[in-house]
Amino acid sequence: MTAAAPTTNDSAPSGFSAAVGALGGGFLALAETVGGMGVLLGRILRRLFPPRLDGPELWRNRYKMAVKSMPIVVVTALFTGGIMVIQATPTVQRLGAEGMVGWAAGFGTLREVGPLLTALMISGRVGANNTAELGTMVVTEQIDALRVLAIDPIGFLVLPRFLGIVLTLFMMTLFSDMLALFGAAVASQVLVHVPPASFFNGITGGLLGFGDVANGLIKSVVFGIVMALSSCHFGLATKGGAPGVGRAVNATVVASAAGVFVLDYLVSFMLG
Amino acid sequence: MSQQAAEQQARPAAAGGVVAQLGGTAIDLFAGGRELYGVFVRTLYYVVRGRREKGAVLSQMYEIGNKSAFFITITMGFIGMILVYQGGLQTQRIVPDFTMLGATYLELLIRDLAASIGALMLATRVGAGIAAEIGSMVVTEQVDALRMCAADPVDFLIVPRFLASIVMTVVLIVWAAFVAFTAGGITAYVAFGVLPRTFFNLALIDYGDMLTGFAKCIAYGAAIPVVSGYCGLSTFGGSEGVGWATTRAVVNSSLAIIILNFFISGAAFLVFPK
Repeated sequence: MTAAAPTTNDSAPSGFSAAVGALGGGFLALAETVGGMGVLLGRILRRLFPPRLDGPELWRNRYKMAVKSMPIVVVTALFTGGIMVIQATPTVQRLGAEGMVGWAAGFGTLREVGPLLTALMISGRVGANNTAELGTMVVTEQIDALRVLAIDPIGFLVLPRFLGIVLTLFMMTLFSDMLALFGAAVASQVLVHVPPASFFNGITGGLLGFGDVANGLIKSVVFGIVMALSSCHFGLATKGGAPGVGRAVNATVVASAAGVFVLDYLVSFMLG
Repeated sequence: MSQQAAEQQARPAAAGGVVAQLGGTAIDLFAGGRELYGVFVRTLYYVVRGRREKGAVLSQMYEIGNKSAFFITITMGFIGMILVYQGGLQTQRIVPDFTMLGATYLELLIRDLAASIGALMLATRVGAGIAAEIGSMVVTEQVDALRMCAADPVDFLIVPRFLASIVMTVVLIVWAAFVAFTAGGITAYVAFGVLPRTFFNLALIDYGDMLTGFAKCIAYGAAIPVVSGYCGLSTFGGSEGVGWATTRAVVNSSLAIIILNFFISGAAFLVFPK
């Protein structure tokens, strides 16, 4: 096969052309997803200025998304804080400065790990659930029924969910930052024997500023936008009954996670 | 209108009292935990005693491993770049010395981050896939058909995924660590001018780190298929049920990873003192 030039016009695709075909197909699928999300964002923004959305639906979604995901956010944040202390301690001990454990754990938690893990958990809980809901509506033709009744499905269903997810993630990140620091303080008392007072002194001692917290919060808004878009896009693009809903949810969580990581990198570099 | 509806929903709970709600949640949690434990024990039993279906483990390995490789490469590449960039900024604030950046990063990667972040990614991709597949089978009564044929769905559906997941999680996490370290090395060179020769430093790695990382790989690889398989098997209702099961699989396997990480890291911290 190495001797023969790549023959793309063979009737039976050779290894090379099959690989190129798969690569091209992958790129086309990626472009379709990104394009679909872009178009959806455009439609959402057009209904946002001036706001044309269903207020009660927004409240209902915010209750369902934020209040109901409280338990998993609490558990995740507490354990994350503990893990950050366990991982930061050997590095700090090597520098011979155990009082710095608050700074070392706090820096990572506030800037990076807090927003990232909260986003992943909310993506699993809220984003996936939202896709399942929209997907079920598509499969059972409820969206078509809305169109028949001259109700705009974007304004009625998608915009409240989009805003709900973005607001939920922002508030949950604030909440989990706080809880993670609490969990970290407990872990540092129990495992490293650094009392909470000097732990929090390490955080507020001047090496960390509001900029670090704001960095995490800006990230959380960006993550919220990409999660909301992918969740609504894949939900509306569902086809094929119950297995289709499962596939749509799977695609959502994968796309959200990939989008969150890629944007995390870009935002980290831009904010410096 | 909806606020009234929400209040009406909230009212019976308030009448029953917070205690009843809390108790109900606790009982649900306990029952769920017991069932999950049952699935785990049966999985282990059938791994030893079950029937072997030819090729099932291999096809699951392809499904879990090869199809996640691209996703893992992308996410771990980006997380590697972010971590080194943030770590470099952090180092710059205290000591303007980057000689130990690579060694510290590699230690952290092997001890915790490669396994934990890689497994979180696998939990979303693999866990959702397993739950969606098994959930659709439950909804379309294929699992009941299996039971009618005297085949335990745990033996037939979960065991191949369990074995495949353990093997492929270890493989993918080694690959993830490699990708994240390479991406980190490139970032360190571009952003902070650290030479690759300085960055690639094995000085801080010891057996404790390797053992911790390996234990995490095995634990996560075992947890993902059991938790999401359990969520898939407990699906009820139609397409909405499949969506719910998939959501629960992602959330519960991610939570399982975070909790396991805490306990394994804590144990390793106490067992292997620095």
